[in-house]
Amino acid sequence: MNSSTSVPARTVLTAANLVKVYGGKTRALAGVDLALQSGESVAIMGASGSGKTTLLHALAGIIVPDGGRVSFAGPVGPVEVSALNERDRARLRRESFGFVFQQGLLVPELTALENVALPMMLAGYPRPESEAHARRWLDALGLPGLGDRRIGELSGGQAQRVAIARAQVTGASIIFADEPTGALDSQTSADVMDALLHSTVGQGHTLVVVTHDREVAARCDRTIHLRDGRVHTASGEPVPAAAAPGFEFVGEGWDRSAETNR
Amino acid sequence: MSAPTTLPTAFPAPPAAPRRRHVPIRRLTWMLARPGTQSPATLVLPAVAFGVTSALIITVIGGTSMFWRIPGQDGGIYRVLSVLALALLLVPLLGLGAAAARLSARRRDDRLASLRLLGATGADVIRITVLESTVVALVGAVGGALLSLAISPLVGLIPFLGGPIGAAELWIGIWPMLGVIAAVTALATVSSVVGLRRVVISPLGVRTRQRKAFPHWARPLIALAVIAMLGTALQGIGALQSELGLVLAIGGAFAVGLAVLGLLGPWLIAVWARLQVRRARTVPRLLAARAVLDDSGAVWRQVGGVAMTSFVAVVAGSGIGLLLAIDTSQSDDLGTLPGDIFTGIVVTLIASFLMVAVSVGVNQAAAVLDRRDITVSLDRLGMPREMIEAARARQAIAPVLLVAVTAAIIGGVLVLPLAGMTLLLSPSTLLVVFGSIALGIGLVWLAVRATTPVQRAVLAHPERA
Ligand SMILES: Nc1ncnc2c1ncn2[C@@H]1O[C@H](COP(=O)(O)OP(=O)(O)OP(=O)(O)O)[C@@H](O)[C@H]1O
Ligand SMILES: [Mg+2]
Repeated sequence: MNSSTSVPARTVLTAANLVKVYGGKTRALAGVDLALQSGESVAIMGASGSGKTTLLHALAGIIVPDGGRVSFAGPVGPVEVSALNERDRARLRRESFGFVFQQGLLVPELTALENVALPMMLAGYPRPESEAHARRWLDALGLPGLGDRRIGELSGGQAQRVAIARAQVTGASIIFADEPTGALDSQTSADVMDALLHSTVGQGHTLVVVTHDREVAARCDRTIHLRDGRVHTASGEPVPAAAAPGFEFVGEGWDRSAETNR
Repeated sequence: MSAPTTLPTAFPAPPAAPRRRHVPIRRLTWMLARPGTQSPATLVLPAVAFGVTSALIITVIGGTSMFWRIPGQDGGIYRVLSVLALALLLVPLLGLGAAAARLSARRRDDRLASLRLLGATGADVIRITVLESTVVALVGAVGGALLSLAISPLVGLIPFLGGPIGAAELWIGIWPMLGVIAAVTALATVSSVVGLRRVVISPLGVRTRQRKAFPHWARPLIALAVIAMLGTALQGIGALQSELGLVLAIGGAFAVGLAVLGLLGPWLIAVWARLQVRRARTVPRLLAARAVLDDSGAVWRQVGGVAMTSFVAVVAGSGIGLLLAIDTSQSDDLGTLPGDIFTGIVVTLIASFLMVAVSVGVNQAAAVLDRRDITVSLDRLGMPREMIEAARARQAIAPVLLVAVTAAIIGGVLVLPLAGMTLLLSPSTLLVVFGSIALGIGLVWLAVRATTPVQRAVLAHPERA
């Protein structure tokens, strides 16, 4: 059975009173508090310009907030993300976080396989091992045989699966996704969410999704609504990992090796 | 046309359509180009590129035309040699001009595509961009003309005919100078029209990038066939007695040589890049090799300019070196000719590298801006910035190294006995040739380094991508 059921939920990331001001006047974040548990999926919703992307970037250590702090419960102890320098934040992103962006933002010259293998190579694994592992991930996400294609030769949904594989290949414990289904039709969007949820919370990892799509948000354990840089309403309670969605999202043709190949 | 007055309307009727829709092209152009609306690099870079192109064109014209004023017996041979040097420099110079033109035309594509989406007509878009590219190129070209004057004392230090040539010899006259400015500006205008065709046809078309095909395997075969034919044709060269005949024969051989290189170059680069892709153990190596393999034709256009000059430098350098070695031992009646030929070879070699370095810099700056979102995404994944930078540098420098070294080796092998003797009798000449190639590669490295601030600016605001 799913390994996440045996691990008790713990807080993996906390944000306290996050503030981000752009250009001295735009308060993109005006004091956000948040705690993420292992094995849960959280949707962030809100109107355009409400600060969703800014919050995601601050949580992930892509930007440094002007006020407040972000703490990550790392494998070797707590890390204060917002106090790290650029180099250490890059390392943290590389080693502990995974990212899925709206357009995938995969490297166009590389093959799908090489794109997925890239984070592993960055982590110091030899190329053959990285590519073998990447291939297992592509297979697990329903893309067998597409490894040698270029990104331009994939459909939007396929490219997003490649991006999901890339985000997960090093075993990142938190995955940040900014409108991962924003450019997809509703059926493809549902498939991509299947893949995303399974490969993250399905393994006890944490998923944070910024989305405009109610259906996508409904698939997550809870939803945080932002308005003008503040948490307006938060629906649902932090779910203990034991109750995290496991296999009920299994779609057609899902390859369970995703759960066992790590 | 006026709204019918008999209709009982509760709402104000729309104003009558203007007879001629007036789009304030000039105001709109200025508005879009104003500093602050976007990165100043989009305007400064093309201007600098056109400036350096103009300065180099004027300097090259000045340097070669000088030889046409040499009177007497020696004049003929100097004229032939100056035409050869000019021909050698034409390829890298055209590459540089094309890079500058492409940069200025391309920089605006994205924004103009959105202008088009906002409803500007195709003609408006063309007018705005053409006006802008033309003005930018004109400013750059005028700056380049001034730059050529500024550097002429330095270039004038190069010794020919037994002494420094002097800045005055490099002056090409006011009309030729205006001609260069006009030509460079026209190049920018034309290429911005051509570059824009795509945007006008499809607002979203600019973004779709397709994979280029691997260069055809028949290329090296055709090249070999052409070389064989050239060899037979050159057998008859002894029959040509007149200076004109000789120039035509050399010019023809030259053109064929360039055509052969154009066939072989992209193929060679692609084969090499494919090997590198397979061999790559690190991320920067893999990224660089893939990027080169992705468009070997474009890479060749960028760096091919040093192939012919490196080849000629080794072949002719070996011959001249030997001649110089013998010349000093016997009393001579060749005068300064052998020494001048050698100087000319080295100057041409370095000039070609300089042009390639500038076009590499221009292309890199454009690529950094074009690939901003990919770069930012790699940064977000936690790829160390030095590694992102290393991939970029490798991608630009490795092809130059490959092309220059391959051409030099082929040249050395072709004249192996000669090169061997020169190495023994006059090692310093070969040292100068190889030193110049090394210096040239250093120039390319500097050009890549010069674009690092652009890359840093992109990464300084990762949230904007
Ligand atoms: N780099 C920046 N410089 C200045 N202002 C910025 C910058 N990035 C974001 N902002 C501003 O901060 C606010 C929040 O932006 P953010 O991108 O977080 O919104 P969002 O909720 O993700 O919106 P969307 O749904 O449109 O993606 C907006 O008002 C935006 O204009
Ligand atoms: Mg956003």
